[in-house]
Amino acid sequence: MEQLIADLKAQIIEQLNLQEVKPEDIGDDAPLFKEGLGLDSIDALELIVLLQQYYGIRIANPDDGPRIFTSVRTIAEFITEQKAK
Amino acid sequence: MKIYINGTGAISPQQTAVGAAFWPAVQDYTTNRLKVVDPDYKQWIDLKQIRRMSRVIKMGVGAAQLSLQQAGISVPDGIITGTAYGCLDDTGVFLQKMVVQEEQMLTPTAFIQSTHNTVGGQIALLLGCHAYNNTFVHRGFSFESALLDAIMFLREGEARQLLVGGLDEITHFSHAILQRFGLYKTNPGHSGSLLQLHNKGTIAGEGAAFFVLGAASTPHTKACLAGVQTIYKPTDNAAIQQATTLFLAAHGLLAADIDLLITGRNGDVDDDQWYNTWTTAHFPGKPEAAFKHLCGEYPTATGFGMWLGANVLAHQQVPAEAMYSGTVPAKINNILMYNHHLTTHHSLILMQVC
Repeated sequence: MEQLIADLKAQIIEQLNLQEVKPEDIGDDAPLFKEGLGLDSIDALELIVLLQQYYGIRIANPDDGPRIFTSVRTIAEFITEQKAK
Repeated sequence: MKIYINGTGAISPQQTAVGAAFWPAVQDYTTNRLKVVDPDYKQWIDLKQIRRMSRVIKMGVGAAQLSLQQAGISVPDGIITGTAYGCLDDTGVFLQKMVVQEEQMLTPTAFIQSTHNTVGGQIALLLGCHAYNNTFVHRGFSFESALLDAIMFLREGEARQLLVGGLDEITHFSHAILQRFGLYKTNPGHSGSLLQLHNKGTIAGEGAAFFVLGAASTPHTKACLAGVQTIYKPTDNAAIQQATTLFLAAHGLLAADIDLLITGRNGDVDDDQWYNTWTTAHFPGKPEAAFKHLCGEYPTATGFGMWLGANVLAHQQVPAEAMYSGTVPAKINNILMYNHHLTTHHSLILMQVC
């Protein structure tokens, strides 16, 4: 899980071109949207593509988005859960 | 009705964004691709917004902000941009992903930012400007079309101050493709000596130049934009001579009234013969300045030329690096700029002291 979280932080920074943000600046449980990194709806689309691209995971139900993308940890948990299926 | 140039801003291969009248020291290049000298864009754009902006968008926003600062206004009554290539880099990113990823998993940012009117839109978003916003994409007439639209808009009394600009970027791909067309010199030498070369090809350039044009003068007014004329695919040099005579007459001027010529000379023997004929036939002995050895050749390079002309009128001096021939008079009242892009898109821009 810790390695997955570290990978995700690096991938988010790259995919969203978060200039001047380092992986250690992103808290595992810090909110990604509005507060924290302050991501927006376009970033949400970028994260959906990131999940497909790096992990081959599609989000079937868009309503699950807010829960999955709450923090880096919730994304990692979602990936682990999907991989286990 | 006079149109006043109340603010200018340029981001170019010269250091034109550091507050000097022109540039602190001219940048000399030994390549056939002149890239803009990037200022610190974070002085104008929030970090969260800048991460989605490609280079040309940042160039546009920066030049727009410089011109607004000079004009002493924060929100114009409209935004008009001209660009031939648009957001070329993001277009390339998006198209490449379409091919490589077989049209799957395409990210939205590059697509959203790849349209030609993205720059005008981003400036409007940053300024909170909900007024008229238009982008002209007419190859070598893109900037001139934006100017013509602004002039008509101001004359109709629909706006008091408009933000008008022209911008284009060159990317790795576009440079390689245009180089294959034979547009650029293979051994360009020093850019400062470009205009003395009389062989095939020129040097590629890029940049953004923005202006605040107004219907009334202000304490910030630099010069007047008296007129703009476009001539598409003239049959020969005589057609340019005739258009020039009519253009000057329409503004109540004779060739003798022009104090300084600015031409779009670019060191290409075929391109420059148009300027040679024009200056020799119409304006023998007139002092001539040039600008493409400073900014390179690109479809909206006249934006840089107009930035140069407006500041020459404002400061009543021509930078030595920009002079091509002759000696300027003590008082510069009228500047006529003649440019063509790839011999098809010719334009005349008349600027006057206010």
